[in-house]
Amino acid sequence: MKGIFSVLVENKDGVLSAVSGLFARRGYNIDSLAVGETDKHDVSSMTIVSTGDERTIDQIEKQLNKKPDIIKVRRLEEAKVVALEMMLIKVSYSTTNRAPLIELCSVMGAKIMHVSPKYMIIELEKDPESLDEFVMLCKPFGILELQRTGTIAMAKK
Amino acid sequence: MNGAEAMVRCLLEEGVTTIFGIPGVAIAPFYEALYQNQDKIRHVLVRQEQAAGHAASGFARISGRPGVCVTSSGPGATNLITALATAYADSIPMVAITGQVASTLLGRDVFQEADMRGATESFVKYSYLVKNVNDIPRIFREAFYIADTGRKGPVLIDIPCDIQKMSLKRDLVYPDEVDIRGYKPNTKGNRQQMEKVIAAINKAEKPLICVGGGVLLGQAQAEVRGFCEKFRIPLVSTMMGIGVMPKKHPLNFGMLGNNGKPYANTAVSNSDLLIIVGARVADRAVPKPDELERKVSIIHIDIDSAEIGKNLGPTLPLVGDAKEIFANLQNADIRVDTSAWLAELEEFKKNTVDHRVFSDRLVNPKYFVRTLSEKMDEDGIYVADVGQNQLWSADNYVMKEGRFLTTGGMGTMGYSIPASIGARFAAPERQIVTVCGDGAFQMSMYELGTIAVCRLMMKIIVVKNRYLGLVREHQEKVYDGHYFGTQLEDYPKYRELAAAYDMSFFEAWNNEELPEALDAFLASDHASLMVVNVDSANNTK
Repeated sequence: MKGIFSVLVENKDGVLSAVSGLFARRGYNIDSLAVGETDKHDVSSMTIVSTGDERTIDQIEKQLNKKPDIIKVRRLEEAKVVALEMMLIKVSYSTTNRAPLIELCSVMGAKIMHVSPKYMIIELEKDPESLDEFVMLCKPFGILELQRTGTIAMAKK
Repeated sequence: MNGAEAMVRCLLEEGVTTIFGIPGVAIAPFYEALYQNQDKIRHVLVRQEQAAGHAASGFARISGRPGVCVTSSGPGATNLITALATAYADSIPMVAITGQVASTLLGRDVFQEADMRGATESFVKYSYLVKNVNDIPRIFREAFYIADTGRKGPVLIDIPCDIQKMSLKRDLVYPDEVDIRGYKPNTKGNRQQMEKVIAAINKAEKPLICVGGGVLLGQAQAEVRGFCEKFRIPLVSTMMGIGVMPKKHPLNFGMLGNNGKPYANTAVSNSDLLIIVGARVADRAVPKPDELERKVSIIHIDIDSAEIGKNLGPTLPLVGDAKEIFANLQNADIRVDTSAWLAELEEFKKNTVDHRVFSDRLVNPKYFVRTLSEKMDEDGIYVADVGQNQLWSADNYVMKEGRFLTTGGMGTMGYSIPASIGARFAAPERQIVTVCGDGAFQMSMYELGTIAVCRLMMKIIVVKNRYLGLVREHQEKVYDGHYFGTQLEDYPKYRELAAAYDMSFFEAWNNEELPEALDAFLASDHASLMVVNVDSANNTK
């Protein structure tokens, strides 16, 4: 199963390595990890997405809670969150398939940020599943480079 | 006031009287401040930094307050890591202070720089790198608080040498309150969960309590014992839980696990409700947790919620402090009739046959531990090292009202001698006997120097079988007796070693001469070393 954790942490050095170290040491997966400041400059927010069985996800929550630098851990339910991820993808094209690629972007709501004679850099900002889908649809064109930010998520309630 | 003086002031505010350590240039300013305050804080110079950590551990376990150790930077600090890992595994409250290179040089790989925060991340409860001298009071207050509350453990304060020399902006005000927003240990025990626990106990016909080291760390022995006695609920313990109840108590059914009493394990698997208190349910105590959870209902009480469900589940969880919880449970409306269950347990115990055969050559290790523990004071402290000596000790020690100290979590060889030194400073008058094998002894024998110089009344027994015994036993059983890399032979020459450190020397070669030799050893008013020769053919199982 998937575990989405919204974690508020002290914004100071060593916290990120303590969190990632915890995952590495105990053999938990990190599917994605996004970190950034919140509206309070001394508090950062992390969104961690992990997969594992119920007991593992439960342990992750408890082990995170043990860290004094972690202020609050919330386990989010997939159905009850707004989840968003951003991606930059460099896709090659030729004269013959240029139009279908532009069409795909407009259907999926992706923005073309840069065009060169041989490739485009496209930006897409959506839920992680839509990003997966877009990557799959771009594959036939030829993906030259890809970067994703990792999921950020917020509970609706 | 400079940083180093502030550090000493903070230690005094925390009531610290004794610290264990070894100086170096990176911690020299702090040592100068200690020099100025030597009438208030005693510094015990050990011979290797690992021993400073183990000594702080022994001190903490007997005094009930965090132990303090101090080292310099680089190798001095990294030498401490094994002791930190040991304290972490056994949840021993400790504050470790390590010197660091000047803050301006951090990260440049200069002489004796080691990233201690990074290196100890998984072995400490929390760590600090002091970057501002004015933070010292807050950091020390927090460090002692974190080490000594919730699930206890070691906290590291790494402090660059230039920070130790800087002046504080204001007069030092030691904070009364600690406010760490991410650290609020829960001690009370949720009321609804309490009700569920009481209901589960009332429903049980064969309840059994299993206590771990957490009961001793939480100083909850009296409450747990009172609970068992009031409702006549039997008890088993892990190795770290030895000492919660005297061995001869009619409700005590011994130590469980791989190395425990068969009747304790039978009790566990025949119970219908197992109440685990302050125990990790690690592999040595509960080798097959899946089997156990299928057969028995389980209540798991621990101050660390992450322990519940980690190795065993599903259980009825209760997070909180054992002392508070059992003080409340004693007054709960509990009605259980355990007469039939206790009779059944007595029957198990009576019918248990010990199939182990001990060699008739030299001293029988089982006889040795029993004889020694019977001769020891009512409140004596028995410090066991790691290996066969530890398992024979745990199995045969006749616990009275004293303490049994060992490292059950990390199993660090060489723990017993420095831990005993720490215990000695916490309890100058109590009887302390250290028991180690010849392998473990040689991992810490440099500490005889500390004992000699401080003129400590230490009693060390080496159970000598000329092997790394527990590995030898493993090689015998698993690798067809291919003994390799485990022979210690006949060194050191213990009599000469004792003389070199001004210790009285005793030795026993057989069962007949053992009691008298032990009497003389225990009666000696001098630091004493005794060798008990046992046959290497003896196994623990």
